[in-house]
Amino acid sequence: MRNRFIPTTSLLLAAALAAAPAFAAGEVGATAPNFELKGVDGKSYSLAGLKGKTVVLEWVNPNCPFSDRHAREKTMAELSKQHGEVVWLGINSTSASHANYLKPEEHKAWATKNGVNYPIVYDETGQTAKAYNAKTTPHMFIVDASGKIAYNGAIDDDPPGRKAKAERTNYVKAGLTAEKAGKDPSPASTQPYGCSIKF
Amino acid sequence: MYAPKTAFLTLLALSAMGPLLAPAPALGAASEWSANEQSRVRLITPYGVAPRKGELRLGLHFTLEKDWHVYWKNSGDAGFPPVLGLGDSLGGALKEAEILWPAPHRFELPGDLVAFGYSDEVVYPVEARIQATGDSLRIVAELDYLICKVDCVPYRYTLALEQPLGDPAVADPETAPLLDTWRARVPRPAEEIAGLQTGGVIHQGGQGQDGPLLEVRVIGAEGKDGETGIFFEPHEAFDLGKPQMRLTPGGVIFRVPVRPKQVDKELPARTPLAWTVTGLTHDGKGLNVAARREVERRAEPAPLLQERNPAGTAATAPSAKRGLPRMLLLALLGGLLLNAMPTVLALLVGEALALRADAGGRAAVREKAAAVATGVLGSCWGVAAIALTAHRSGLPAGWGSQLQEPAFAALLAVATLALTLNLWGLLEIPLGPAPSGETPTPVSGTGRHLLAGLFVAPLALAWPLPNLQAPVGFALASGGLEVCAIFAALGLGLALPYLLFVAAPGLAFALPQPGRWARMLREGLGFLAGASALWLLYALSHQVRPEGLAWVELTLLAMALFAWLRHRSRARSVLKFGLAVVLAAFAVAALWLADENRLSPRPARDVTSATQIPVNTGG
Repeated sequence: MRNRFIPTTSLLLAAALAAAPAFAAGEVGATAPNFELKGVDGKSYSLAGLKGKTVVLEWVNPNCPFSDRHAREKTMAELSKQHGEVVWLGINSTSASHANYLKPEEHKAWATKNGVNYPIVYDETGQTAKAYNAKTTPHMFIVDASGKIAYNGAIDDDPPGRKAKAERTNYVKAGLTAEKAGKDPSPASTQPYGCSIKF
Repeated sequence: MYAPKTAFLTLLALSAMGPLLAPAPALGAASEWSANEQSRVRLITPYGVAPRKGELRLGLHFTLEKDWHVYWKNSGDAGFPPVLGLGDSLGGALKEAEILWPAPHRFELPGDLVAFGYSDEVVYPVEARIQATGDSLRIVAELDYLICKVDCVPYRYTLALEQPLGDPAVADPETAPLLDTWRARVPRPAEEIAGLQTGGVIHQGGQGQDGPLLEVRVIGAEGKDGETGIFFEPHEAFDLGKPQMRLTPGGVIFRVPVRPKQVDKELPARTPLAWTVTGLTHDGKGLNVAARREVERRAEPAPLLQERNPAGTAATAPSAKRGLPRMLLLALLGGLLLNAMPTVLALLVGEALALRADAGGRAAVREKAAAVATGVLGSCWGVAAIALTAHRSGLPAGWGSQLQEPAFAALLAVATLALTLNLWGLLEIPLGPAPSGETPTPVSGTGRHLLAGLFVAPLALAWPLPNLQAPVGFALASGGLEVCAIFAALGLGLALPYLLFVAAPGLAFALPQPGRWARMLREGLGFLAGASALWLLYALSHQVRPEGLAWVELTLLAMALFAWLRHRSRARSVLKFGLAVVLAAFAVAALWLADENRLSPRPARDVTSATQIPVNTGG
């Protein structure tokens, strides 16, 4: 009782440590959760296998008008060409039971039609989305070379897509430029917009 | 980050160029409906004839198919709010257009996602300024919106109407009442509502708390289970989880998990946060209220709330009342236990000796013991009043949290040091028998005993007994009556030893006759009180900078020095008085130094209005 602060501090520390894993999902600065997911091309992709490289994760759903618009506008496809040193990965967490779900052939056709030049993986259980606390399509993450999440948020600052492409702030582009210069992305976190992930 | 307020509170008004860019406008107070499978939307004004100058009201009127929704200014986990495009044509005839956001609803989506918005029908009121000439104004608005059920569909429309202008303005019989209905659902600023207060604090974490927790209190309005809700605007440093609500007789308490967006960055010590509380009742009328407050982060965990309901629904007042007897008992026992705390014990022993030394017999003992007990109860209610005031004005309040306010902890240290010096015979305070001489001086008059009683509760405040946190927290979260009852029970527990003397005054005479041993006992108790002062300085060390603590300690030492000088001085009373003034000045300096060197920021103040008292947590 007299030494109320020592037990309180200990409990605070213990609670903070105990809570850390539960509250570390997708936050900037947290270690990016590993995954091993099958691509629409039939290959297996894991984050652990990309250690040492900067990785961009994009949650996609071709049936979501926002994902589809950004694919048509080549928002990420063009950026990925400018950043050959970065690994791009699309993740589709649409449940297999949802009407938005696309079979591999349909997915490939969509990617080809829109010039999506990076692999897309299935996460039908939604576990990877939950691990990252991904909520929307699109929802963007930059994982830095040390395996930490460096950016979490929107693809750009123009939800309705009414600005000219050059006038938009592409947060992923800004984040990668900062990463390349050895700086932290700023902003490191934004509010994503778009369709909810179809869990 | 996407900033809805600056990006989409805009309106396009075109006249000369309008016909080239927009569809043929509807005449009168509403545009044609633009319809799709899920919804239809039109631009409305409340005027048959609109004014040429001043405020111009407009509205975006949506009707939605079943289960589809459009968004509030914070769309939630997905979606985005409607965006109106602005053109500054018309020579600036329309200016400063701003969407107002009626009270939203919460939509639960698959995957534990949530959206905030409107279903079935909504009118977003829009406010603009007009400065126009002529008999009509062509208003053209470019609208982007997203409508979602589980799937989402974005739409873009150009809405146009030809608004007749004139003086005086004439209301449209259909659209004016419709717009008024929805304007009435726009939350009112909390500052405009008499008797209503709201404020918030982030509790960093601790026992039984999984992570940071935001607590928002609304005082002066009633909530209703199932109808009252809270909605937040996005914050750059953290996300907020699902709120839990608890109704209290005085208002509503919300607790919301806080999820930092960056793990390697501490939550801000103070940060502005905006919220809207819907479904309240104030003065018998429905109320939606909006507030923007500076929210403070505090290290301590959120105080215990009686009967927290995990389902997020409110515990009602009757259930709160059911917990009262148990809390009263806890308060009574806690009060009794406080008598064993060193400073309180020292005072108790001193008073018992004073009663023993009283020459007035049993009747006098009874009377004086009753005076002490009255003083104890009175001081408890005084503490209750301070706690309630502190609680309602944003200061930490709750048994234990008093030590988190540096100036208050310093005050307790000063008071404890004064008691120590008194027990050592260096400082005369009219409490207990005087230390000089073998036989303590009999204390005369019940007034001194009453005064002694009044000192008990403040001395007890130095002891953060854990078992008092629950009843005091319960009382503060419940209301004024509960606070009075709980502190009365606490006071009764504290006063029990004295009440024992009232019931059986003969007990006083069962104590041994005071003599040399009594003086030694007093001086020994002085060490207990001194140890208490050290404990308070230890508590203070968590609240102030090290150099600040050193200054406070030096000030206390100076107090002791001047008390000693005054005690040793055989000079006239003028000098003694002067020394007492210096001593008091050092006491005040200790309080100032503690406050000046505080580690935590001072309690949050309202960002938008200096007169509004933020209501933070405590309890």
